[in-house]
Amino acid sequence: MNIERIQQRILDAEKLQIIGNNSQLKSTASNTLDMSPYAGFIGYHPDELVMTVKAGTRITEIKSILEHKGQILPFTVQHNDSATIGGAYSIGSPELRDAVLGVKVIDGQGQILTFGGQVMKNVAGYDVSRLLVGSKGRLVAVCEISFRVLPKAYANTVKTTITPNIDSQSQVRERIEYGLKKVFDPKGIFI
Amino acid sequence: MLITQELSRSLPNNIVIQGDEMTRPFECDALSMYQQKPLAVVLPETIDHIKRAIKLCKTNNTPIVTRGAGTGLSGGALPLENSIVLGLSKLNKIISIDPIAQTAIVEPGVRNIAISEAVSEYGLYYAPDPSSQIACTIGGNVAENSGGVHCLKYGLTVHNVVAIKMLTIDGEELILHRNDSGLGLLALMNGSEGLLGVITEITVKLTPKPAAVKLVMAGFEHVRDCANAISNIIKAGIIPAGLEMMDQFAIGAAEDFAHAGYPRDAQALLLCELDGDEVDVQQELDKVLLLLSGASLIKVANNEKERLSLWQGRKSAFPAVGRLSPDYYCMDGTIPRRYLADVLEKISHLSLRYGLRVANVFHAGDGNLHPLILYDANVPDEQQKTEEFGTEILKLCVDVGGSITGEHGVGIEKLNAMCHQFTPAELAIFHQIKDVFDPKALLNPGKAVPTLHRCAELGNMHVHHGELPHPHLERF
Ligand SMILES: Cc1cc2nc3c(=O)[nH]c(=O)nc-3n(C[C@H](O)[C@H](O)[C@H](O)COP(=O)(O)OP(=O)(O)OC[C@H]3O[C@@H](n4cnc5c(N)ncnc54)[C@H](O)[C@@H]3O)c2cc1C
Ligand SMILES: Cc1cc2nc3c(=O)[nH]c(=O)nc-3n(C[C@H](O)[C@H](O)[C@H](O)COP(=O)(O)OP(=O)(O)OC[C@H]3O[C@@H](n4cnc5c(N)ncnc54)[C@H](O)[C@@H]3O)c2cc1C
Repeated sequence: MNIERIQQRILDAEKLQIIGNNSQLKSTASNTLDMSPYAGFIGYHPDELVMTVKAGTRITEIKSILEHKGQILPFTVQHNDSATIGGAYSIGSPELRDAVLGVKVIDGQGQILTFGGQVMKNVAGYDVSRLLVGSKGRLVAVCEISFRVLPKAYANTVKTTITPNIDSQSQVRERIEYGLKKVFDPKGIFI
Repeated sequence: MLITQELSRSLPNNIVIQGDEMTRPFECDALSMYQQKPLAVVLPETIDHIKRAIKLCKTNNTPIVTRGAGTGLSGGALPLENSIVLGLSKLNKIISIDPIAQTAIVEPGVRNIAISEAVSEYGLYYAPDPSSQIACTIGGNVAENSGGVHCLKYGLTVHNVVAIKMLTIDGEELILHRNDSGLGLLALMNGSEGLLGVITEITVKLTPKPAAVKLVMAGFEHVRDCANAISNIIKAGIIPAGLEMMDQFAIGAAEDFAHAGYPRDAQALLLCELDGDEVDVQQELDKVLLLLSGASLIKVANNEKERLSLWQGRKSAFPAVGRLSPDYYCMDGTIPRRYLADVLEKISHLSLRYGLRVANVFHAGDGNLHPLILYDANVPDEQQKTEEFGTEILKLCVDVGGSITGEHGVGIEKLNAMCHQFTPAELAIFHQIKDVFDPKALLNPGKAVPTLHRCAELGNMHVHHGELPHPHLERF
């Protein structure tokens, strides 16, 4: 599967439900956009502590590649063996968000967009790659993710418990989140 | 009634400042080549003052430029002719400290270093340490997502902020927390350069002071050897608290200024700081010393005095270089570190081509370059030549997969460079995000994101000496 295929699916669709490995979502919808075939490693530079992967790559696979170089993920994903990094990103956690450096996504109008990069420090433009952590497949299809990794020696700094989310809905927040949904998916195709 | 009159009438005495003389201190930030006086400066003492000012400005369609200490290096707090400046320096209280949770709640005008000073008695500090930390405010730090020497290990501002309170352009309060479910709105506010809201309260994460700190200095005969040494340290599983590099020009300038004992003949100098438990630090130090075997000179600071003295050279590198030239221009590109030696080589070629000297100071651990271009603004064309040179350096950074700014922000300064890093579709998304928060574009308008128009013009026209055709025409 290549990125143009995903783009075409989005351009052709009226409604789409994005799935990773469907491991938690358990979607039974017929019009799914299955991201799991879009998998594989794009770049890994252990001495820069940066990895870039396609969104369908499984967490277990990422962990085993890191293991070979004595490195670890700086966040914990509550997952079964089939969970993908794209799914984990789209569900989100504060620690995963901390580790994200950049993303390539396709928005609801089929535009391929890149935000952030492969560097630790980058304050050009709004931090969209961290904003979209937690977007639950409703704003964009996440295609590629760059994130920071850690040497094994720092395992004790990685939180192993899942941080409970605060449900902080307010009218202002709702309005902003709705506005942002419209920015990325004006036609409302991602359900 | 004029907005200035309305503000004066609705706010207590001494809050609203007007007149050329009085507003002069606010006409620029630390990028002093751009200057503009605002209609008025509002210096609120309470959140309610801010709310009232925002409300009046909104009704009158008057733009608001929020300001912390004005130490920004990209013109972020530069006033607009028709704007007010909302200066938050009087909101400088530390509201509470929780030594158990290791957090502190502070007002936006609190200076960065004041937090570390206040929590020191609990064995804690606030980790992000921009070199401007004695002056810059925490509100400004959040708005710029500032970094510092220690962010390789301890993260940027975005990693050290637990929650904020902000006011929208409607004057509504929004509380954003790290653990909020849903989109990363707190992360979005970090680095938003005053375009999305006014940050009124910040809960910061505090870090325990390390038991032991060791600093190693190493000199190298070749830049490439130094770059390799850095890679090897990280590959060995060590994340130094600080990992800073300087080139020969910067070494010489810093040595003349601070007499830190730097090796003038070295082509590159590395400062590597390790911190943590006594035992761990010693083990790491032993490893690092082995990995630095390619260095021509190695020195470990034996005591705190020596350590601070070795840092002094690096910390005074900007003023030290500044002494050698009437003016200098500080760049802030980032690159994937593996391209370090290549990029430095290209910068030195460009330096020859432009006939302008460059000193390189570098947050090496995280790939953040600070080339300092030396120039003389009184020499005709030299400032333009400098900006053009700077733009080429930033393009170079983007072309190897880096960014035009690692920590200083886009502000007014890097609008053109943004056109190189982002496509029109991506820039359009940025504008739409702003629109969600601020549909009338009253919060720091014109900063941080260039208009598509501007980029189109830049792309289509030959830019002579960085000068746009018809410079008198407004560019939206
Ligand atoms: C209801 C629910 C609650 C969860 N709670 C937690 C939790 O508390 N803590 C935790 O760490 N993990 C949690 N998870 C994450 C879960 O454990 C898996 O890590 C995650 O779902 C990835 O699995 P998957 O790849 O099969 O994704 P799926 O289960 O297929 O999808 C998960 C979500 O991500 C979206 N998605 C998947 N891939 C992409 C993509 N490439 N682009 C855009 N959107 C995509 C889907 O639309 C869906 O909303 C939760 C997941 C779900 C569905
Ligand atoms: C000598 C020197 C060294 C420096 N070293 C570093 C360094 O090592 N690392 C680094 O990252 N930076 C550095 N800087 C740049 C600068 O200090 C930082 O960007 C700092 O965070 C700016 O803080 P400030 O309070 O001065 O903000 P200002 O300059 O007043 O404002 C900066 C931006 O933030 C916005 N803003 C300010 N407060 C708020 C608020 N409460 N709500 C919303 N928006 C707000 C403004 O509108 C503006 O766009 C240095 C600057 C100097 C002069």
